[in-house]
Amino acid sequence: MSTAAMAVSRKEKTAALVEMCSVRLGSALFGVPITHILEIVGSARPQPVPLAPVFVGGLVHYRGDVLTTVSLRQLLDMPPKDGPQDILVLESSGGCFGLLVDSVGEVLTVSSADHEPNPSILDGRRRALFAGAYKLKDSLLVMLNPEQLDPMRLGAAQA
Amino acid sequence: MGLLREGKLSADREIITGLLQLLDGLRSILKTIEAEDAEGEGEDAVLIGRLIELQAPAQAQSKKPVHARAGASSASSAPASVPPPAPAPPAPPPQDEIQPGQAEIEPEQAEPEPDQPAALATPPPAAAVPAAVVSATVQPPEPLPAAAPASKVSAEAESDAARPRIQGTAAESTLRVDVTLLNRMMNLVGELVLTRNQVLQATSADPNMTMLSRRLDMVTADLRESVMKARMQPVSNIFSKMPRIVRDLSQSLGRRVRLQVEGQDTELDKSLLEAIKDPLTHAVRNSLDHGIEPPEVRQTAGKDPEGTLKLRAAQEGSHVVIEVSDDGAGVNVERVRQKAIERGLITPDRAAHLVERELLQLVFLPGLSTAAAVTNVSGRGVGMDVVRTNVEKIGGKVEIDSRTGKGTTLRMRIPLTLAIIPALIVRSVNQSFALPQGALSELVHIPPEQAAAAIEWIEGAPLYRLRGKLLPLVFLDRLLMPGAEHKIVTERDNFIAVLDADGRRFGLVVDGLADPEEIVVKPLSAVLKDIGLFSGATVLGNADLALILDPGSIAMKAGVTMREEEEAAHAVEGETGANAAKNLEYLLVEAAGRQAAVPLGDVLRIEQLPLSRIEYIGYRPVLNFEGQLLPVEDSGGVLDAAQGNPEAQIIVVVCREGNRHVGVAVSHVLDVAAGGDLFEAGTSQRTGGVTLLKSRVTGVVDLGGVAPLPAGEQAPPEWSQTEETVA
Repeated sequence: MSTAAMAVSRKEKTAALVEMCSVRLGSALFGVPITHILEIVGSARPQPVPLAPVFVGGLVHYRGDVLTTVSLRQLLDMPPKDGPQDILVLESSGGCFGLLVDSVGEVLTVSSADHEPNPSILDGRRRALFAGAYKLKDSLLVMLNPEQLDPMRLGAAQA
Repeated sequence: MGLLREGKLSADREIITGLLQLLDGLRSILKTIEAEDAEGEGEDAVLIGRLIELQAPAQAQSKKPVHARAGASSASSAPASVPPPAPAPPAPPPQDEIQPGQAEIEPEQAEPEPDQPAALATPPPAAAVPAAVVSATVQPPEPLPAAAPASKVSAEAESDAARPRIQGTAAESTLRVDVTLLNRMMNLVGELVLTRNQVLQATSADPNMTMLSRRLDMVTADLRESVMKARMQPVSNIFSKMPRIVRDLSQSLGRRVRLQVEGQDTELDKSLLEAIKDPLTHAVRNSLDHGIEPPEVRQTAGKDPEGTLKLRAAQEGSHVVIEVSDDGAGVNVERVRQKAIERGLITPDRAAHLVERELLQLVFLPGLSTAAAVTNVSGRGVGMDVVRTNVEKIGGKVEIDSRTGKGTTLRMRIPLTLAIIPALIVRSVNQSFALPQGALSELVHIPPEQAAAAIEWIEGAPLYRLRGKLLPLVFLDRLLMPGAEHKIVTERDNFIAVLDADGRRFGLVVDGLADPEEIVVKPLSAVLKDIGLFSGATVLGNADLALILDPGSIAMKAGVTMREEEEAAHAVEGETGANAAKNLEYLLVEAAGRQAAVPLGDVLRIEQLPLSRIEYIGYRPVLNFEGQLLPVEDSGGVLDAAQGNPEAQIIVVVCREGNRHVGVAVSHVLDVAAGGDLFEAGTSQRTGGVTLLKSRVTGVVDLGGVAPLPAGEQAPPEWSQTEETVA
């Protein structure tokens, strides 16, 4: 993750530090590198799109454009959540899209020394979405791969 | 070349053709120079040879051989003098700006006919070739002065004189702007419009805030208009290409054609202008190939051997009308009938019942061509169908009108802009959807108690009997949420939006209707576009998002197709709204026992309200309508009749008249019907006119005659009425 990382050398000798925005989904903790995040939109209610692929969380109005959102819950086969959700506006090669999560937490600075690759027991789909995990003091921060969350890519993968 | 200018050599067709070929040659040379920085090898010699050849007869005739030779040498040196592109005066792109200036430069040579842009001291690349007017009587000015040294001096002198003027008016006051920047501005303004809508809705009781939001409203409206204007371009941008096309074609087809262009400065959104270029070119080709007859035939028919092709552009309300008309043979309706039967597009039975006007509409069907032989110009039977599809794609309409032996007129109605479209907001599956009004022809409400009787079923396919014809129905909720449970028709309100999509007519059943709104179209991401039902999304005034429904794809998805026969019938039926004979749809109203008609296109809404809402300024009844004063027209005497009864409800039809709104007081609104014209096309006049509605002659309310409010009292216009409309 050196490309996405904001390398700040502190007391660790060689390990780079990465700033991750932590997001919650139920009890799980996920991280998105902040360099990919354009903006965080709080408590939005996306407009559902009938007949859209399941992973599409709906549409939101964002700075004059209509943004397609991806529901992380749907992607991970979790039951949908009622009430407003937070949206991370992410930038990818295909344009902007929103990522619907339960709530956005603080920005954590993690060290690449704590990074471990995806465990081999993960299923193929998740292995593509995740980019390893960071070991925190008392939990794991699962790193998401923003490129893989792009609705276009997901749409193509599904088809 | 000098000879031409001095009138020694009359510009006949041969010579102009030669010059135009030369021009093409020069253009390609210039292109090579631009690309490679060196003169291409090209066929200069061929061109020079051709020039000399052209010059030869002139030399033979010329009484001053010396002079002629000088001319010849100068002309033959013309191509050679091109390589340094320096002498070519200003840059080619702003053609339309250069032309008017140059039109003034050489009036004495051009002998301009008023309707012809006869001016050309243009540099080779910019030559817009008005000289293409195929008329032996016209002396076209020479297209290449800058390239010919002999005339260079004079040309430069002239353009020097003209240049300061041109630059002063055009070059200094105009700016070339990147289209993407304009699009971005358009987007932002759209955004501002949305925010404004939200502010207006959220405006609190604070009077200060109300005032501010009003001002915001005004400024936004102005800004939007200016940005829209910035995208506008005169139709001359595409019209200017036509003379050359007409010329080349008429030569290869052996026709003699005079081209008349009208309304060149009518403006249209750039993207729309691009979109109509091909249909227009096709229409012009059609007119030349099928319309205007060869000179001999015309002469036998007692017509001027030279045919006239007229291009006309004019703005009509929020549309631009572009007409291509010729005075040729007209469409042979019998042939259309035969061909249509031959190709199995309609049944002979049906064809026998169609009247001439209906048959004409058949030419828009794919696969129909009346040309006896397929030429490289036309006759393949894909043309008119494509013209219609292209124009309809941008929300326009095509109509055709033809009189045997007199000519054909093709009329395209194009909306002024694409980015903001009027739409009706409908509700279904607890969401709002936007339905473009272009496709919407009418709305029908079926309350739950009537639904069982009104909606009929054939093997599970719902149908509605609309004025005696079966209309297939598509339930939007069932389409959007297959599998989910839906209320049956007798348990809910059913609103049928009768849609017309690519020739398919069907009723879309929705749960509810909201207001019509001007919506700003936002593109959808590819994933959602793949669903196919939505053409975009928009943000409504209440900040809700709404998906824009695409009637065409809904019809496809729901399997609404029509048998070809029906389609043909429909093509006829659908066009009657505003078809060739200039039929308008009218709202049939009754006022104090008499019937009258209001052009449906002008009707904004119909309000039923208590009589007490009507107030008077002096003797003039006015209505306080959404904060604006609306003059109410009451020549039918509805208000007077109801005066004694304070409980009385009256109906006011709110109409658009020019840029103001007026109300018409009526006692009942009866129906909507297509009006037949009682005049010959061309002489029909609308104001105070009458129309044939349901085979009765009915007076049309003269909206223009409603006096504006601030003005003094004027005699109210009469309901125009004829003796046939005895109530």
